[in-house]
Amino acid sequence: MRSLVYFVGAFVAALIIGIGSAWYMIDRGSPLTTTKAGPWEGWIGEGNPDADHYTRAHVARSGRLPLTSTVARYFIARRDSAGAALSSNCEYVIVGAPLNARWWSIALYDQYGGLIANRSSRYSFNSEELLRHSDGSFRINLSRHARPENWLPAGAADQRLVVMLRVYSPRDTDVSGIGLVPDQQLPTIERKTCE
Amino acid sequence: MRIRLPGLYIVLALVLAGLIHIIAVLALPELAPKSGYGRLASLGPANTMIQVPSAAPGQQVIPMMGPDVRYAFCRFDLTGGPVRLNAKVANELLLIALYTPEGQNFYSVVAPDMKRPEIDLIIITGDQSVAEAGVDAPESFENVGVVNSPVTDGIALLRMPLTGPSRASNVEQALSAASCGRYKGSG
Repeated sequence: MRSLVYFVGAFVAALIIGIGSAWYMIDRGSPLTTTKAGPWEGWIGEGNPDADHYTRAHVARSGRLPLTSTVARYFIARRDSAGAALSSNCEYVIVGAPLNARWWSIALYDQYGGLIANRSSRYSFNSEELLRHSDGSFRINLSRHARPENWLPAGAADQRLVVMLRVYSPRDTDVSGIGLVPDQQLPTIERKTCE
Repeated sequence: MRIRLPGLYIVLALVLAGLIHIIAVLALPELAPKSGYGRLASLGPANTMIQVPSAAPGQQVIPMMGPDVRYAFCRFDLTGGPVRLNAKVANELLLIALYTPEGQNFYSVVAPDMKRPEIDLIIITGDQSVAEAGVDAPESFENVGVVNSPVTDGIALLRMPLTGPSRASNVEQALSAASCGRYKGSG
């Protein structure tokens, strides 16, 4: 009787650990598959035909069709630079300098990857339309309430937010042709206030 | 005995957990309910260029689509022969990417890098040579790229990022001029 309890217990534990660890490594990534720089995470192998199985599963589950890293780089932030989850209850300022690429864009989504409805139909800022300072640097105000300069509306309260930086055709590449976007050139996401 | 028996079950649980982990990771690409390929393929027939409706709240064909990118795609089916893809390159940035149904981007081109006014791609299956595929080199062969596809069924996705809000109509026009269809030879 006791061995049956042990056996069932072992089986249930195996299911939880096996599926839980697989889910975590596919959804959130691991040092094997993802790069982290400040608030940004990137799946370096996404879209690549030689990608590892975790990356393939991640792409299949996401429903996206990402470009390989030789043509584009994608960076996703679910947290601010201090590590707290991005929430529409807070106000943030995204600060950065121009990236060395043909085109790049910073877009805001809800936690499911959906665009957030707003009156000004503003969902992103790209390299061609951002208002910049004389030294080329920029600030994007992420807030539920109208803000001057570049304002990215955060929609309704109590939502988790996701920011995506897409960089098309980076001009610097490494020896294997992978587009380089140095960590220190990625924008920072600073929280200002929360409601 | 009392000490050793739970230890045995812990080892059993860990081995089993490892197996379940591996099976889950390997099976997921097949089981994923809505892959990017599936989402696009449901929009229309194969071997036709289809414009993807631009992203808006609640109207996104693909999660995390670029709100400032315009997309068009062609699901290519090579069972009836090679497929030809043509796009005019205006002054805008155009990215062409070919995918397997699993979402592997096996070929991609940044159109301005080609330094041509027009991009012509002929997609053939991976085991064919250009001649076997019936692609007789046209006089302007240097302007035609032949791509070996590892799959007979896949997707060619065209992306054109907007270079400003007023540029949307230019980009949409350029994309709607792109075409895709069965290759019929140079004639």
